[in-house]
Amino acid sequence: MLCTLVAVALRSKIELTSLAMIYIFGVLVASVRYGRTAAVLNAVLGVTAFFYFCVPVHDSFVMEDSSYLMTLSAMLAVALVITGLVDRVRAQSNKVRDAELRITSESMKNSLLSAVSHDIKTPLAAIYGAATSLLEEEDRLDRAQVRGLIGGIAAEAERLNRVVTNILEMTRLESGMEVRKDWYPLEEIVGAALSRFESALNGRPVTVHIPSDLSLVCVDDVLLEQVFVNLVDNFVKYTDAGTPLRIDASRTGETISIIVQDKGQGFPSGSEDRLFEKFFRGQTGGIRGAGLGLAICRAIVNAHHGTIKARTMPEGGALLSIELPIGGSPPDLTELTEGSTA
Amino acid sequence: MTSQATTEPRAEILLIEDDAEIRRVLRTTLGAECYRMREAASVAEGLQQVHARQPDLIVLDLGLPDADGIEVIHAVRRWNRNLPILVLSVRAHERDKILALDAGADDFVNKPFAVGELLARLRVAIRRGTSVHRENAEGIFHLGDVAIDLSKRCVIANGQETHLTRIEFKLLQALIRHADQVVTHGQLLNEAWGPNHTEQTHYLRVYMVQLRRKLETDPARPRYLRTEPGIGYRLVTGQSD
Repeated sequence: MLCTLVAVALRSKIELTSLAMIYIFGVLVASVRYGRTAAVLNAVLGVTAFFYFCVPVHDSFVMEDSSYLMTLSAMLAVALVITGLVDRVRAQSNKVRDAELRITSESMKNSLLSAVSHDIKTPLAAIYGAATSLLEEEDRLDRAQVRGLIGGIAAEAERLNRVVTNILEMTRLESGMEVRKDWYPLEEIVGAALSRFESALNGRPVTVHIPSDLSLVCVDDVLLEQVFVNLVDNFVKYTDAGTPLRIDASRTGETISIIVQDKGQGFPSGSEDRLFEKFFRGQTGGIRGAGLGLAICRAIVNAHHGTIKARTMPEGGALLSIELPIGGSPPDLTELTEGSTA
Repeated sequence: MTSQATTEPRAEILLIEDDAEIRRVLRTTLGAECYRMREAASVAEGLQQVHARQPDLIVLDLGLPDADGIEVIHAVRRWNRNLPILVLSVRAHERDKILALDAGADDFVNKPFAVGELLARLRVAIRRGTSVHRENAEGIFHLGDVAIDLSKRCVIANGQETHLTRIEFKLLQALIRHADQVVTHGQLLNEAWGPNHTEQTHYLRVYMVQLRRKLETDPARPRYLRTEPGIGYRLVTGQSD
């Protein structure tokens, strides 16, 4: 259609053979973008239209059969050859991509294995050691020692649980789990995450500034809560008792910006870009983990078409900023007025 | 904890769980808390015991070898609405939990669980089984420093009296009735708006935010009106331990 318009517009100005080129271009585009059927259809329609509109005498089908057939077969040949080539290239690039995926999942498996062997076996060793010592040395241990060993078992089991949960979560995200979105007040999701940390916060003051009229956001609540749980977990792990944490949220256009910042040490310099990589661990200072927390955060935020970035503040302290699209137009809450529900 | 246990004299618990180690830990712990224990390792065996023993409470694992643990809930609820059922489940299986809760389970505990948490949930479930209400004669329900006047439909927090709207009141009433237990979105929507509105969960969330502003000192860090993401809400009274 487009080709015909262009050709009709130009028919007085250029030669017939050049006009035919315009149709070849059309067939070319169809071959590359829409596949074989579309290309063949385009060739047939194009040639017919070309002869109908462009070949003198205008606006009639009186023409030489042989030249019509010649042009048609040429066009069909172009369509078939190009689609054939395109198919082959596509198949090749798919093969390359599959191979790349295999390589990524291979290296993922390898790093997973090393993370598994270290971060699972270490707490397991502690638990096993403490338990066997309790079994065998019970009579020779005093009360305080017994309590110490038992406390160690509980703490290490808890740590083991966190590592396993993170590894499972990452595997689930990577295998393309479903994101179940609905409209949520951000305040509620942040609140749910924070209430898991009451005792772990250990006196670290937390302030949350979420405007009471902030729009609802369309998110998967369980996943987004996990983002905040991981961020607060890092905060608890990597800052000293008493370090303050602040969570702010605001809206710009169709985006909600969330800033989570603390007054701790910040990130090791130069590591900001790598923090979100799987199994990357900053300066650990003996703190154990699989290096999956922030990678999970990024996977979740990406699944919501958002972004997450980290930086160290000039005055020190870690700052994580999350940009999250509101995700559509929030539901009308006017029905909520009690008059209509009464 | 021992003093608490003695206030619920020797309730009989039926534990339906296929893992022998978990059974052993619970047998030891709950035995030490003076509960009487019965055990079953499958749905079939569990149902048989329910009928033979008439326990005071069931602790139920959802992943059982012969059938889904939810079958136990369905079967029990057909003839007994009040027998408390506490579900042991794995985090990240939110949908299973909702199904179990909506089928009539009273609450859940995530595996791996700390014994303290399990005991607290058990006590709440047993108390509910014997339907002890904790509002006093004047119909005032206390939540830490906050008083909820059920007859006047208002909240007294920080010396200030705030009126509750009709829906807020219905929601709070339902949560108080199930104090310290999880209440699913579906159950709350049904309570406040009736059975035709059980899909519009975002209404519910907005109301819970409003309620928190009336009840909580810091609504973004709620002490009482807790969210169970993907499942529902829990009114935490701080009196279950």
